[in-house]
Amino acid sequence: MLNPSDQEFAKSLLRIFDNVLLTEEKALSKGYFSNLSIAELHTLEAIGPYDARTMSETAARLGITTGTLTVAIDRLVRKAYVERYRDMKDRRVVRIRLTRQGKLAYRMHAKFHTLLVRRLLDPLDESEKQRLVSLVKNIDEFIAEQYHKYSEEENAITAKDSGGLES
Amino acid sequence: MKPVESDHAVSEPDPDADRERVSDLEDVAERQKERIYDSLMQMVTELTGLSPTDIKPGTEIIADLGFDSLQIYELVVDLESTYDIRLSDDDLDKVVTVQDVVDLVYFGSQ
Repeated sequence: MLNPSDQEFAKSLLRIFDNVLLTEEKALSKGYFSNLSIAELHTLEAIGPYDARTMSETAARLGITTGTLTVAIDRLVRKAYVERYRDMKDRRVVRIRLTRQGKLAYRMHAKFHTLLVRRLLDPLDESEKQRLVSLVKNIDEFIAEQYHKYSEEENAITAKDSGGLES
Repeated sequence: MKPVESDHAVSEPDPDADRERVSDLEDVAERQKERIYDSLMQMVTELTGLSPTDIKPGTEIIADLGFDSLQIYELVVDLESTYDIRLSDDDLDKVVTVQDVVDLVYFGSQ
């Protein structure tokens, strides 16, 4: 059992995770891009505002399969946030990039991240900034580690349920 | 003994030629900035519906033109595509007037 101050710290952390998502959702629903979901916005983020990407590299960035990404991209193409085109050098490769509208949604969303970072870091001096960045990086790595652990366990169970690929 | 002849004659510095070169470079920069200003005017008039005569280099983007954050990013996205540059939020913080945008795009595209 955690002591009261550690309990308060744990609550604050979880509130941050929840409230960042809720704020992003509310900003979207009230803003100019209300037909975009947070998941779709994160897909735009994974494609990025400048370079064209392949489906497989974007899927890898998002940690999803190319099949799942194809469904998401179909929707984003219909909503005019993403365009698909065939690579001129290798016609087998399909590339995706953001449209002007997609770039705008990306920039407006990135502005929230800029505000968040500035609000947190601007009042700090250089050594405090480095300390905070390193502490948050530790939290990030720990959560990612836990996520991978559970994902691997889930995959192992799925493989076992289906009789496993090797058997 | 015959003196060694060098292939590379050392020329005397010519201050007039140097001044001319600097002046040529300044002319090129000025012309480039004028081109950026003209295309910026086109973008701004399309976004606001204002006439180009209503806009001057010292016109302020937010205070005078009333740009909101969406319009600012519309301008940014169009400038990035036209000049193949990248403009960060930190860059945008330094921008107040139309001339600031011209300078930012000019230095970004060098």
